[in-house]
Amino acid sequence: MLAILGLILGIVLGLVLEPTLPGALQPYLPIAIVAALDALFGGARAWLEGTFTDKVFVVSFVSNVLIAAVIVWIGDQIGVGSQLSTGVVVVLGIRIFTNAAAIRRQLFHA
Amino acid sequence: MDLLNQVLAEPMDPDYRRVSARPGPVPRSRLLLLVVAIGCGMLFAAGSVQSTRGAPAAAVERQQLLDRIAAEEQRHDELHARIEQTAGEVGALRDAALGDDAQARALEREIEAAAEQAAARPVRGPGVVVVADDAPGSSGPSDGRLIDLDLQQLVNGMWTAGAEAIAINGHRLSPLTPIRNAGDAITVDYRSLSPPYTVEVVGDPRTLPARFAESIGGRWWDHVRQNYGVSMTTTSSDELELPADPTLRVRHARAREE
Repeated sequence: MLAILGLILGIVLGLVLEPTLPGALQPYLPIAIVAALDALFGGARAWLEGTFTDKVFVVSFVSNVLIAAVIVWIGDQIGVGSQLSTGVVVVLGIRIFTNAAAIRRQLFHA
Repeated sequence: MDLLNQVLAEPMDPDYRRVSARPGPVPRSRLLLLVVAIGCGMLFAAGSVQSTRGAPAAAVERQQLLDRIAAEEQRHDELHARIEQTAGEVGALRDAALGDDAQARALEREIEAAAEQAAARPVRGPGVVVVADDAPGSSGPSDGRLIDLDLQQLVNGMWTAGAEAIAINGHRLSPLTPIRNAGDAITVDYRSLSPPYTVEVVGDPRTLPARFAESIGGRWWDHVRQNYGVSMTTTSSDELELPADPTLRVRHARAREE
């Protein structure tokens, strides 16, 4: 519950304050968002399965976002940034879909 | 395929199960959870703000460029008008300096004839109007977009056919006016034109088209029309009015011998 409240509060805050990221970080924002989505869906599934733990969620969220951004940053440095971000999006996308399917099964038993 | 299988089999962080299976109380840190959730929400908001703001920024930049082009073109027109005005003043001063004897009048007639040849005077008279356009849907010179050479051939063909004065899209051609490609556009007198190209030719409307067809330019255009699908229509006109070319300048001058 707290997490959902925080999420809504964060979205409202972000829309009101319109924080601007430093230009150097802006290319990594989309990939960080995909990683955050993955962590969110993983957390939601764990919550429905009754195994949710704040600490694991926090760690997985932060590490997901950071690792995704760092992978793409390294890719940019060695010239395969767009390929690596495609790879990250594919892997995270598969995870998001699988988790979403599991959540759907939990919620609707279908 | 092992990697993909692993991604599919373990989409959730395995630590969730491991920690909850551990005996003893589950570690809690609600404040941290709240902070991360707020950060996550802000991340989403920042992302959407960034991408919705990025699109208009590109449009704004484009509009700024268009405005700058329009402003520069207007400045160009103003400068042209100033040249015309100053040229008029120069002419008046010259007439005053020449005085009013027989020799001066002969000189003035000579100057007037030369000015007409150099397209420094507006021209009015019968002639033909040629409208040339790119082939529909063309993307480059290879599939029917007109290039500088086509217009050069058209103009040169008209000169050989007996044209007295020519203007393209309202730009009067002098013997020194360049017709060039710049990027994707044809420039006349260093001004970009956009198709269709209207070539106004003052001359005898009865003989111009036939004589043009016999010229090298006419044969060039036959070839271009048959092979590239570009269009060219010729209509005769009883009354054409072409402006003067204002870019005439002094190229050679000599101090007067006393």
